[in-house]
Amino acid sequence: MSDAMLQLDGLVRHFDNVHAVDDISFSVERGKVLGFIGPNGAGKTTTMRMLATLETPQRGDARIGGYSVLDEPAKVRRITGFMPDSAGVYAHTTVTEYLDFFARAYHLRGAARREAVDSIIEFMGIGELRDRNVERLSKGLQQRVALGRALVHDPQVLILDEPAANLDPRARIEFRALIRELAADGKTILLSSHILTELAEMCDAIAVIEKGRILATGTVQEILVRMRPRRTLSARFAGPSDGVERFLLEQPGVVNVHEAGGRMRFEFEGDDEAQAALVGRLIAGGFRILEFTAHGADLEDLFIAITKGRVQ
Amino acid sequence: MSWHPRVFAWLERASDWLNPIVVKEVRQFTGGREFHSSFGVSLMLGLCVAFFGAAEAISATGTPGRWTFGALIGCLAFFGLVVVPLGAFNALRTERLEQTLELITLTTLSTRRVVIGKLLAQGVKLATLFAGLAPFIAMSFLLGGIDFVTILVSMLVLFSWALWVCAVSLFLSSLIKTRAISGLMFGAVGLMFFLVVVILGVPQVLFFVLSRGGVGSTGVSVGFVGGSLPWWVLAMATTFCLVSMMNLVLLAENRLSVPSENRVTPLRVGFAAQFLLLVAWVLSFIGEPVPTRTGAAEALAVLGGLHLALVAMFTVTEDLVLPRRVAMRMQEWSPVRQMLAILSPGGGRGALYVIAQMVILLAAVRILRPSGAGMGFSFAVCGYICFFSGVPVAAFRLLRPAAAAAFQLRVAVLVSLPLVMALPDILYYMLWRPYSFDINFATRHLINPFRTLANWPLVESKNLFAIPVVMGLIGVAAYSIVIGAGLKMTVESAIESSPSAPAREPGRADVY
Repeated sequence: MSDAMLQLDGLVRHFDNVHAVDDISFSVERGKVLGFIGPNGAGKTTTMRMLATLETPQRGDARIGGYSVLDEPAKVRRITGFMPDSAGVYAHTTVTEYLDFFARAYHLRGAARREAVDSIIEFMGIGELRDRNVERLSKGLQQRVALGRALVHDPQVLILDEPAANLDPRARIEFRALIRELAADGKTILLSSHILTELAEMCDAIAVIEKGRILATGTVQEILVRMRPRRTLSARFAGPSDGVERFLLEQPGVVNVHEAGGRMRFEFEGDDEAQAALVGRLIAGGFRILEFTAHGADLEDLFIAITKGRVQ
Repeated sequence: MSWHPRVFAWLERASDWLNPIVVKEVRQFTGGREFHSSFGVSLMLGLCVAFFGAAEAISATGTPGRWTFGALIGCLAFFGLVVVPLGAFNALRTERLEQTLELITLTTLSTRRVVIGKLLAQGVKLATLFAGLAPFIAMSFLLGGIDFVTILVSMLVLFSWALWVCAVSLFLSSLIKTRAISGLMFGAVGLMFFLVVVILGVPQVLFFVLSRGGVGSTGVSVGFVGGSLPWWVLAMATTFCLVSMMNLVLLAENRLSVPSENRVTPLRVGFAAQFLLLVAWVLSFIGEPVPTRTGAAEALAVLGGLHLALVAMFTVTEDLVLPRRVAMRMQEWSPVRQMLAILSPGGGRGALYVIAQMVILLAAVRILRPSGAGMGFSFAVCGYICFFSGVPVAAFRLLRPAAAAAFQLRVAVLVSLPLVMALPDILYYMLWRPYSFDINFATRHLINPFRTLANWPLVESKNLFAIPVVMGLIGVAAYSIVIGAGLKMTVESAIESSPSAPAREPGRADVY
């Protein structure tokens, strides 16, 4: 049986002639973090807003915790926390009052409400700010309070639209740890970001969207294998490397051999076993290897390779 | 333990029972400058009035309680009908512009509770302002010249109308989406509320105060409104105030809800209640002499007609496609609820809803005038409503069904009215080229509902019924076409709205 907490099934949302979301389907399992990436105007925010029940899909459906966003939005809201990319804060309201209001709005009463607010303040590490006005906090601190708001009713699914946009480097590191902690706690997280290097560290998988359509889903490694069946390897040898180039070109699966910066760089088509065998053959051939490196493409390379930068 | 923490702990526990929006709004306005300023100014004004009242009492020149109370009510009217409603407008406007309303929408609070919470928060503000001036008002009673009942009723009336104006401002605020328009609207609303002080609230309070013996030592009083009539008028005005306030809340809810919700049924119930209240108040004149009954019947035809014309413009033009969730819910209804289907959206039920109310209107007029006299006027009112709300809609549904969206249909209905008002005269002057500009009512004006109904005695005396009757029949036929198209759509959507079928929403592109 599938353990998908978040399941999108052919979601469609058009705005006049703009196909903001065009037949999107993917799923996220419980306790997993899915990074949602795509260029501006790709349809990330519209998809997230449909999942948060702020927009209605014109076709298709999505299920969160088994509840349809179309047919049971109230139940979806109860188990979902959404943090939009931009939302204001209230004037003349302290951090505690702000969180307390949202706890009330989620029907938390009495001691349960007070405990929820206190635990969120502690979890988010904003104890010192509890009596400060929210509107006077810096953007980064407001972002932190906003994440607290999304968590105040202990949702099972978190949908975060550009959550790290206004954070400083230290806050970003803390935020990454927070996300992993939430995932370890069993929360399913869908988050979008433009800072791809961070997403790669935070997410178990990614979904790439462009022009309202999903271009790729899976782990970064899976997508890499799909996108680039050849891996880029390089080796540094002790002593002169005469004959290495010829030797490598004679090996099965090796192409594009060239020397760069004192290293032999080449592309290799094959799995881990084949790569280990290649290393063995190099040593057996009398080549003294000092370093052997596999150059993995990062998420940014992947993003550029997959998307075409088309906006609507 | 001192009493402070205990009181706050008690308040904290008690607040669990309150609408969360009320708690938030009260926290916000007690922390802000605006409310403190208004409260301070109102206290200063109260103090000034009380000072002059006391000075006059000491000089023993009369009973200054009357004018003191009048001045205090004037202050309260300004704050209650202008300042607080502007605050209400701004509260919802800010929520929308700052996108915090979306954050509330994400919670389990319903849109109706949000609007009611906003309204109740204004009630708290008003109550605080009233309480602040209460000692000065008590002083005006002690200064003599005004009785306790007058003071109490006047304040209750003012409070209820102030709350009504707050509901209007919340509704207006729910209409706007952009910052630029909201700024313009804010100015317009401010001006309008200031006029409301003059047009609605104060005259009604004055009416009541005058009817109970005048407001000043000069002996200004209106004897003709003595007896039980003031209470009667008060009861009518207050019930209208409450029902229409409920409808304003429902209208605001309608504007703020997501399109997939059933945003129509509560509004239909609310406006039907408002119509039935109107009918009930008019029928209360049934035991009166014939001239009074005739006047009541005419008033019902005019006011009821206006009400139905407005309702028809929105219900007959509504989208025929039902949101999937609403369609699924309707399929689960019991047979008893199925009978109330005209209160539901889509499927041409809007036209049926209007026709049902027209039948009630005609029946009530008939009850008031058993002889049948004056029925022609009521039929003409209904006929014109059917024609102008039905024909453009039916034409679109038959000729250009793809373009028959609610907004376009409403524009078509609105455009058709000035067209028939101007066209007869334009054609007459273009084709016949008369020597003089003749503005008298003539046969060509019979397609103009306003002129025809205003000159109905002339229509009756000259037997000019043919055109209104034909227009009425065409209108009824147009309604039948709309209902037929709706029924066809209902059958189609019943097949489509099974849980396994793909979703199909009439939805707008935007949420709010």
